[in-house]
Amino acid sequence: MMGKTMMHRKTKDRIYRIVLQIFLVLLSLIIVVPLLIMILGAFKNSTEVTAFDLALPEQWLFENFVTVFEEGNLLTAFKNSILITVFSTLITILVSSLASFVIARRKTKLSQFLYYFFFMGTIIPMQIMPTIRLFTVLDIYGGYLNVIILYAAINIPFSCFLYTGFIRGIPSILDESAFIEGATTLQTYFYIILPLLKSCNITVLILLFTGIWNEINIPLYFLNDPTKRTLPLSVYQFFGAYGGSNWNLVFADLALAALPVIILFLFMQKQFISGLTEGAVKG
Amino acid sequence: MVIMRRKGHIYSYWLILPALLIFGIFFIAPSIYGVIYSLTDWTIGKDKVSFIGLENYRTILESEELRLAIYNTFLYAVVVVIGKNLNGLLLALAVNTKMKLRGYFRVIFFLPCVISTIIIGLIFVPILHPNGILNEFLSTIGLGFLTQQWLVDSHIVMFSIAGVSIWQWSGYHMVVYLAGLQGIPSDYYEAARMDGATAWQRFRYITFPMLAPAFNINLLLSLIGGLKVFSEPYALTNGGPGNASQVIALEVFSKFGRGQWGLGTALNVTLAVFVSVIAVPVLYKMRKREVDE
Repeated sequence: MMGKTMMHRKTKDRIYRIVLQIFLVLLSLIIVVPLLIMILGAFKNSTEVTAFDLALPEQWLFENFVTVFEEGNLLTAFKNSILITVFSTLITILVSSLASFVIARRKTKLSQFLYYFFFMGTIIPMQIMPTIRLFTVLDIYGGYLNVIILYAAINIPFSCFLYTGFIRGIPSILDESAFIEGATTLQTYFYIILPLLKSCNITVLILLFTGIWNEINIPLYFLNDPTKRTLPLSVYQFFGAYGGSNWNLVFADLALAALPVIILFLFMQKQFISGLTEGAVKG
Repeated sequence: MVIMRRKGHIYSYWLILPALLIFGIFFIAPSIYGVIYSLTDWTIGKDKVSFIGLENYRTILESEELRLAIYNTFLYAVVVVIGKNLNGLLLALAVNTKMKLRGYFRVIFFLPCVISTIIIGLIFVPILHPNGILNEFLSTIGLGFLTQQWLVDSHIVMFSIAGVSIWQWSGYHMVVYLAGLQGIPSDYYEAARMDGATAWQRFRYITFPMLAPAFNINLLLSLIGGLKVFSEPYALTNGGPGNASQVIALEVFSKFGRGQWGLGTALNVTLAVFVSVIAVPVLYKMRKREVDE
């Protein structure tokens, strides 16, 4: 009797799981189809693409990508994005983890205050035009430098928040033994703390990398030289120029711009998913 | 004893300085200046900037276009908060079942949030076109009455834009809820099952309260993101048709383009005030609850 109900439950569970999976596969089409329209469209000719459907291209026009690569200045935009993302990410990681080390260890009112001071930056939106004015006065407005500094300034708050939480979990007895041996705070940071920050560094790195790589607001306001455009900005401008007549080229451009991150994501799914959500979960 | 005495200064405050300087000079200082500039007639190319009191804020209140932008921003925020959290929670509950394709679902639903919002927006421009594949699909499966002029009808354009954002980010919120679900000890469910609790009761009395932290975080993130919205309408409609899908951040950009920097800054300050006034109490409540527990 008992065995029978157990069996019954097991088969019921199995059927439930199969039905659920079929349903979820259909649901995942909602995500897949728009992306497929883009990818297939990128290979079509300019009239064929206007159907915006899932039909395979009559002829796979690989030359679309070549055209886009040249017309869209993708290589320049790609280099700009790399430059800006790499430098602002590195600066943010370095200064945030350094600051967090002290904030996490000190139990004073001042360190509490600094913690909340930085935390404010995770909530309130930046003031754009006064910042432009500041960069103009400093004579660095419009170039790479002001964007790199700005990305650092915007991302320091959340990075500090993550690092502080992480470092609080590292026993302070470790640094004390270094201090006894006569190490300075900086040496202790580099030899004791930094090696232990690996997993937190990966989280922050992925968070900053995807955030900055995909962001358009800052470049829109702070890069006025067309040769310094980042990838999202170049994509939008390409759409402005070709969106009326050549959607196949627009799709090729979008696909090429999206590809690097998608490939990275597919190779490092686990790190990406935990990296991008860990901050939220830990918070 | 030695350590005790040194404790005061071994963690030197100097190490905070680089972060503090960058953040203070390039984020906090402009924020403070913003409040001051918002009280002036600052326009591009004008040499002398003079104080005009709250004139810019009055302009915002009196302008139909700007009032609409504020209304749209809130409407959008509410819609995405509900949509992303509902989808995210339902997806998480479904994907939390042990099954073969679980990894695949996690990856596929998460995929859109590693792609730039601008790219996502542009992909949806033709899809949401009146003759686009969405309407075609709806007609084909017999739901023709649901077809809409998604980005053209000024009454529903904000909902369409919110829909694209929900499409992109539901998977993100799903993962946060999943982390919450996996933190619930499975013997809670076993015990409830033993006591004869129904599936709904198990959800209502175990899952739901245990998910509170994940829910709070998702709420806060989607709310702040919703109020700061820029890229989605920028890519999909650029504020159109007319001004039907203007939001505050887009208006800041348009005032910037027209050289009305004082007014633009006042709008920017308005946005900052809205976000703080809404987010800070939520945060405070969250922290308090955590301390209470």
